[in-house]
Amino acid sequence: MNENHNASTTSQGGWRVWFRAESVLLLLLVLEIGVFSKTGTNFWTRENFFEVLRLSVEMGLLAVAMTPVILTGGIDLSVGSLLGLCAICFGKLWRDAGLSPFAAAFATIGLGLMAGALNGALVTRLRLPPLIVTLGSFSLFRGFAEAITKGVDNFTNFPPSFLFLGQGYIFGVIPAQLPCFVAVAVSFWVLVHRTVIGRELRVLGTSPEGAVYAGLPASSRIQLVYVLSGGVAALSALVYVAHLGQAKADAGTGYELLAITAVVLGGTSICGGKGSVHGTLLGLAVLAVMKNGLTLSDLPGELGGILTGVLLLTVLSGELFMRFLSRRIRLRNRARLA
Amino acid sequence: MNDSVLDLRSISKSFQGVQALREVSFDLKAGEVHALLGENGAGKSTLIKVITGAHSPDEGEIRVNGHKVERLDPGMARRLGIAAIYQQPALFADLSVSENIALALEAPAPFRRIRWGGRRAAAARLLRRVGARIDPDAFVCELSMPEQQLVEIARVLGTGARVLIMDEPTASLTPGEVSALQEAIRVLKQDGVGFVYISHRLPEVFELADRITVLRDGTSVGTFHAASLDESDLIRRMVGRDLSAEYPGACKHTGPVRLEVRDVGCVASGVPKVSFQLRSGEIVGLSGLVGAGRTELARVLFGITPPDSGQILVDGNEVRIVSPRSAAAAGICYLPEDRRRHGIVLEMSLLVNISLAIHDKVFPRGWILEDAERRLASRFVGELGIKCAGVEALAGSLSGGNQQKVALARWLAADPKVLILDEPTQGVDVGAKREIHRLIRSLADRGMAVLMISSDLPEVIGMSDRILVMRGGCLMGEFAREEATSDGVMSAALGKGGEAC
Repeated sequence: MNENHNASTTSQGGWRVWFRAESVLLLLLVLEIGVFSKTGTNFWTRENFFEVLRLSVEMGLLAVAMTPVILTGGIDLSVGSLLGLCAICFGKLWRDAGLSPFAAAFATIGLGLMAGALNGALVTRLRLPPLIVTLGSFSLFRGFAEAITKGVDNFTNFPPSFLFLGQGYIFGVIPAQLPCFVAVAVSFWVLVHRTVIGRELRVLGTSPEGAVYAGLPASSRIQLVYVLSGGVAALSALVYVAHLGQAKADAGTGYELLAITAVVLGGTSICGGKGSVHGTLLGLAVLAVMKNGLTLSDLPGELGGILTGVLLLTVLSGELFMRFLSRRIRLRNRARLA
Repeated sequence: MNDSVLDLRSISKSFQGVQALREVSFDLKAGEVHALLGENGAGKSTLIKVITGAHSPDEGEIRVNGHKVERLDPGMARRLGIAAIYQQPALFADLSVSENIALALEAPAPFRRIRWGGRRAAAARLLRRVGARIDPDAFVCELSMPEQQLVEIARVLGTGARVLIMDEPTASLTPGEVSALQEAIRVLKQDGVGFVYISHRLPEVFELADRITVLRDGTSVGTFHAASLDESDLIRRMVGRDLSAEYPGACKHTGPVRLEVRDVGCVASGVPKVSFQLRSGEIVGLSGLVGAGRTELARVLFGITPPDSGQILVDGNEVRIVSPRSAAAAGICYLPEDRRRHGIVLEMSLLVNISLAIHDKVFPRGWILEDAERRLASRFVGELGIKCAGVEALAGSLSGGNQQKVALARWLAADPKVLILDEPTQGVDVGAKREIHRLIRSLADRGMAVLMISSDLPEVIGMSDRILVMRGGCLMGEFAREEATSDGVMSAALGKGGEAC
């Protein structure tokens, strides 16, 4: 009996490694690179490699911070709007309040953290569903951004020292925003995969009631993920403004959905409990390479949306199919052993 | 035998090796109220589920109206006129009475024109039949609980039910409402409807029932004419059995008071005011019927629904309990009743489950330390004899008894001062049950104060040094180990005699 059990767990483990969402994504990424290297002009160059990275930093920051939120079984729809609001506030503080870019950036991050804390408080104190709370703040933050600019104001002419963050190169090749993104991604990876907090987030997403009965600090952990998500959205806003050299109220429109797409594509369960930061990064890479490849291959940009949809649906249903397949194989093995 | 509308013969049913029903026979005549009695876990619900087709019996024969039925399923049971009504009426609160009744009567069809007049007339006719004065246009959410129950009865009658199973229908009713319901039952009896009636309120049973079947440990003790029994006979038959089964001995020496509860109450969860003490080394059983407020009390003490009045003292120091976390920090731990939902995280490994409540201790700096975690889990797997494929196995892959040991291991790792156990051996097979009993005693011997909630009367009597009995959210009696008898405890739980709270 015991031997039988061991045998089936090992074979199961073997299959599982193959059926992981990460390996599917990796395969997809290799496929994309292979195809676009043939069809795209200048696709397979060092410059383009870093260009893809540069273009995905804003989205990447949002997606990385979204991962722990979704791990707890929550969601944060407000990050795109918050990006817009933070961009506007940064511009306002710098141009109209006369703060230095550094001080303005500092205040903007503070605003992001506070906005995240608002989401977190509504979720934990009032026990409202995160979808509803952040749907509300999604409108609220964008509304504020539009109210501040009256829908027309546009902040430009930022000092070069600030624009360097979004447009400059370190050592002439590495985009200046990349180290910032790497630092955030590594921090989140460590938080989610190596700390007690990450463990508790997973348990919260898997069994919210079980977590409470185990005496976990559920509220403060959930509060934390929304605060982090808000803070990172503010950081993303700074990168965005420095990158484009302007701040308008519509900055980051629709980013929240793309960030969620990357997270879910990366194998994080939308119900919570399962997922990884590296999965999110892979999901992000697949999306970013696709967008870049389509452009360089002179294919219409609209194709991007269609392909993203097809990709998400196939990867998700493919995962389901593979889980079904591995279950079948496991059952058959067990039957054979019995 | 020919007038039986329902006849079950030698029904047996087991779940994963646990025998829930053993050769139980039960029959119901037209126009009869047949009460089904037994302790919690005696097999009543399983028998009901066999009758309604939710469970198919392993062995035995079911006859409805004299015809043998193979493979009874819920749909077929409904067609054969078998219906069940539970404590909470299953009605759509935001629809009107006539709509609720129509949902059961009319076959669903798309694009069909609704004949409101016909609906209302049919509903009114059925309501008249159960003797209810209810407006068919009223919304269900506006009705009182017994009115809703009458609507539910009217609804199942409309589907032609001849066998009505009522599971604790009066648990949430006031005495006046109870008599209204009883009146309706009497009216329907005249029409030849048979009732299977389950209730813990014995006076009510004697008032209504023609016959009584007593279940105990999944077997039928017998079927009796209600007139041939009195309450104490009945209680003896419900619990009477050999209690000398091997339980670990009594406590060797009681130490100082570890937990003192003074007038603790929580209005929201229906615990008015409770006071008691637990001493070191002592196992105190908390007995009572389902719904007596035992779990509610435990949830108050563990801070899931924090107390809003009174004082809690651990080792003589007052502690403020606002959450499970603060309770655990104060040394009060709770093994919940619903093991699969609250006790363990099924989808996670033993490693995660066992270290979950003591993250601060195992991972003092906040980093996950795999070695420390593995050592901890292996230690408890060894100590408690948890049978598993390894510490990485998912908790959900273990048997019930081993899952319970994992849940216990989590709290043992926290080394509590006071351990509250809620139905620690529910759904656990006999062997593991005995191991868990021995474990509980050894914890008490180590100086913990143990409060054990259990609906298993022999277990309470066999394990406890003292027994507290709860009813209606209040402590209604206390028995020392020597003076505890099953009849005495059961009487206190049922509220025979003084009804005051």
